[in-house]
Amino acid sequence: MAQQDFSKKKALLIEDMAEARIMQRKMLTDFGFTSIDIAMKAETAIELLKNQTFDVILSDYNLGNGKDGQQLLEEVRHSKLIPNTATYLMVTAETSIEMVMGAIEYQPDGYITKPFSQAVLQRRLSKLLETKERLYNVNIALDKGDFESAIAAAKIVMKKYPSLIGKCERIIGESLLELKEYKKALSLFNKTLKSRKMPWALFGKGKSYFLMGELEKAEQSFRQLMLDNRFFVSAYDWLAKIQVVEGKLEEAQSTLIEAIGRSPKNILRQMELGKISLDLNDSMTAEMSYRRAVFLAKYSCYNTADVYLNHLESLARISDNGPLLPRQKDNFDSTLKKIHESFFDNPDNKAKAYSCEIDVYLADKDTLTAKQIFEAWLSEVKSGSSTAPTKQQSASYAAAFGGIQ
Amino acid sequence: MKKLDISTILASAIHESKNQVGTLLYQLQSLKDVIGSKDANQKKIILIEESLKKLNDEWVEYLYLYRLASDGYDLHVDTFLLDEFLDDQVFALHPSALAKNLQLEYSCDASLTGIFDERLMTAVVSTAVYNAFRFAKSKITISAKKENEFLIIAIEDDGQGFKNTEEDGDEFLEGNTGLGLYFAELSANAHVINERTGFIKKESSLALGGASLTVFLPQPSNIDLLYNV
Repeated sequence: MAQQDFSKKKALLIEDMAEARIMQRKMLTDFGFTSIDIAMKAETAIELLKNQTFDVILSDYNLGNGKDGQQLLEEVRHSKLIPNTATYLMVTAETSIEMVMGAIEYQPDGYITKPFSQAVLQRRLSKLLETKERLYNVNIALDKGDFESAIAAAKIVMKKYPSLIGKCERIIGESLLELKEYKKALSLFNKTLKSRKMPWALFGKGKSYFLMGELEKAEQSFRQLMLDNRFFVSAYDWLAKIQVVEGKLEEAQSTLIEAIGRSPKNILRQMELGKISLDLNDSMTAEMSYRRAVFLAKYSCYNTADVYLNHLESLARISDNGPLLPRQKDNFDSTLKKIHESFFDNPDNKAKAYSCEIDVYLADKDTLTAKQIFEAWLSEVKSGSSTAPTKQQSASYAAAFGGIQ
Repeated sequence: MKKLDISTILASAIHESKNQVGTLLYQLQSLKDVIGSKDANQKKIILIEESLKKLNDEWVEYLYLYRLASDGYDLHVDTFLLDEFLDDQVFALHPSALAKNLQLEYSCDASLTGIFDERLMTAVVSTAVYNAFRFAKSKITISAKKENEFLIIAIEDDGQGFKNTEEDGDEFLEGNTGLGLYFAELSANAHVINERTGFIKKESSLALGGASLTVFLPQPSNIDLLYNV
């Protein structure tokens, strides 16, 4: 293994405990890093990652009350805040490692278990950086979204470094899926499974079958993964997707509820459960998931209007069966406030928020307030800053306001 | 209040204590940095450090043991290059060997790969090596090979060797409870491929004359692979 020159690499250290942070920073300095940025929590890290690029990210799994290291990784990889050329090393404890290893889709480049010595950290980082160097052309192509070049580059790397066959096969398989070459992807994942029982290959097999429309076979793969390890939570997400396509919404809902029991902090999963529950007219479950999503969205890459508007919608649907409880009304107001603060410049968002608000006041028999809101809405429509109510909405409001001048 | 299971309480207590060992190790590291490598106390500090590391590794072992015994461990197998895996083990344990003036080496075919749970086998190898530290005169070796669709990892030393009785489990951890051996056995047993289960063997070391602990881990055969597709 070649000695790495760390002096030109930019590092980001994410650790909430002061003692460990000081120690790890010292270790990094001692073996040559000259540029080390520090974040004490995931939210700060996201801000830094939005504005700078780093070569090495050393993140603790446990980051206090906010997001954990795995969620951070999933978010920044999903939203491409960190390039594939960057190395993400997760620092774990014995209790958290299963969550990290169970995340088949977004795995860190490596993990290291606490406590570790400087020598062990240096060795681990050197190895990881060496691997990144060998995969450089592959990762550059992936970052550009040029999957054909990524496949070609991975084939070259595989020949030169047999120990990277697994990594390269995985990249090729996933790139084939991106290129919609499902049959080729499937045969590659099957080929891998013939010689090695890798969870990612079984996962890829399931995805290939799903995308080819062979739902039964896809379900088999995902169920096998769930059986192999209860921490493979993304297998549950995909099983739920299959159940939605098959129209088995109740089953999809219970699959997701089980997944959330194992891994509650994934915002996309909460949103999906909310959506399915609304479709099932289960507004209580929908409200619970969207409320959690609203909580998780703060400082997140998924901090979009949808999260908040869906929460309002779920509360409005609860109010279809009677006035909201004081606690629910508080939740409604607090989410509405966030929409006013951040997302009120969009005409469609305004229309959606107004309509939910009117529903909630009407359910509370507060026709006066409901009417005022409707008038405010109409004047915004006039000035062009809000989308108009639908004919159906106007008609039902007119009927509800009927008695009032 | 629901009555809690005592083993669960102990497991979380071990976890708490393990975290404290981690903190102690960090503090010791900063002490080491302050006093510099020429200081007369450096040797003592290294001894304390190695003991703390061993304590930490033992607690990791106990935590896994608890999980294995209470069915709460999800095996996470992957394919590893043995050359890299054993190199990592020797690297981690080398300072302890050095502190005891013992030689620690590994050998295996450079292209040998195996399928196993890395964390469990790391704990098994370190448990066996720590044990060998107590008996070895000068040398400990770790080796790996594949035979009859089993991956075989052997930890051998040049000490007195296992006594030739059936109840010598206790001897494995001198005066201890044989927990280490039990742990190695449960870890090997947890590796199952189509009804072929992993196991361990205590033998005499042919190469070094002392004890040899051999761990057998089932690997997929061509027939198993047909089932998988």
